[in-house]
Amino acid sequence: MAQSDTAPSVTPPVARLIEAFHRLPGIGPKSAQRLTYHLIRMPKEEAEEFAGAIAELKDRVVLCDTCANISESAECQICTDLQRDKTRICVVEEPLDVIAIERARVYSGKYHILHGVISPVNGIGPNDLKLRELLERLRDGSVTEVIVATNPNLEGEATAMYIQQLIGPLDVKVTRLARGLPSGSDIEYADDSTLAHALESRAEIS
Amino acid sequence: MTTKRRPITYTTEGVVVRISNLGEADRIITLVTPIHGLVRGVAKASRKPGSKIGGHLDMLKHVSVSVRETSTLHGLSQASTLNGFRKLRDDLERFSRASYISEISEQFSVENGSNQPLFRLLLSVLEALETTTNTDMITRFFEMRLLQLSGFQPEMSRCVETGIELKPANHLYSAERGGLLSNQAKPVIETALLPASLNTIKLLRFLSKAKLMNAKVIKAGEEEKRQLSRILRAQIHYVLDRGLRSEAFMDEVRSKKTET
Repeated sequence: MAQSDTAPSVTPPVARLIEAFHRLPGIGPKSAQRLTYHLIRMPKEEAEEFAGAIAELKDRVVLCDTCANISESAECQICTDLQRDKTRICVVEEPLDVIAIERARVYSGKYHILHGVISPVNGIGPNDLKLRELLERLRDGSVTEVIVATNPNLEGEATAMYIQQLIGPLDVKVTRLARGLPSGSDIEYADDSTLAHALESRAEIS
Repeated sequence: MTTKRRPITYTTEGVVVRISNLGEADRIITLVTPIHGLVRGVAKASRKPGSKIGGHLDMLKHVSVSVRETSTLHGLSQASTLNGFRKLRDDLERFSRASYISEISEQFSVENGSNQPLFRLLLSVLEALETTTNTDMITRFFEMRLLQLSGFQPEMSRCVETGIELKPANHLYSAERGGLLSNQAKPVIETALLPASLNTIKLLRFLSKAKLMNAKVIKAGEEEKRQLSRILRAQIHYVLDRGLRSEAFMDEVRSKKTET
């Protein structure tokens, strides 16, 4: 456990909660203290509801057996939806990416969540991702296209390359999300690889 | 009355060696720089698609960036790419090597510790990795040169146990003692010894004096390559007192390449 930053005068339950918040990603010691003292001021019912929500989360939420998305049952809503296109799988890094793509309302296929990305400097290799499960899904031959939607950064690209090599021997088309200039941005500030990809993937104005 | 020190702002070049997410849309970026050593700073909103600096501050990019020093994490702004090393991004093997090299560079760098030779070495080796097919020997060159720059050059002419000049023959290598051990010597302290054939010793000596352009063309047998890799890695592990996280992936990619 990390060394506590809290003053010795802080009572143990408060110090414990500050430390618990501090362990969350993106929460520093000051934010942890702020959140804890906010909870102290909160009405008891609200605090209990908050604690109950956390407990329920751990009791009821599981990973979907098929796509590894967050789900309440063995199969998530997307995997059980018969209206969705079974022949396409969109591979994403995290469950939050599914929400982002669904928000766009243009994709009607299935998903597969890797729960990470190949990151050698952080000691995360292919075996730490849900790649074996992805291969299993492709074995029956019903999937014709795998869309790799990992983030367009170095580690996302490396993961996409790895997936491409992994799936290569199977008779499945592997595509990658297009990369280029984001809407509302300035060409002046674009980095070289974004500009290069934008130029390589240029499209005729129709 | 105490007065607050005015924050110092400077512009530096650097190579991005580590990235981690912070909060909603920020990133903590770690750079190896020539004058300021290891620089860690926050790139605000750099995960948003419209960010002006997000695309520049990606792993293994040589960038110019403005740093605003604070007592905790510095603030990063006005980043621009000097070299994106695009070919390291299009090849899994080059990527795995470059990740290993960037991890070692980070481990051998300290904050506020100027290290221009290390920075120049990192840049030149990343450039070489983009074009060479001999990625194995470029990696060994980097390891050897880094040990030399850090004051841990392996002893290759005299036995580290007896001090006697080594005869041209197969010997042993001790990372703990920092050099070759005569095959006749009986170490007083029990230590992990690695085999070092005559050819491997020749390669070690050559690498210690070679220029990068010469390292690119070194040819060696599989056994010599394996011994060389084990010796230099063992030495780096001993100096750092730990292994490197990126080694496993680099080895996996290499073994897959050898299989095909």
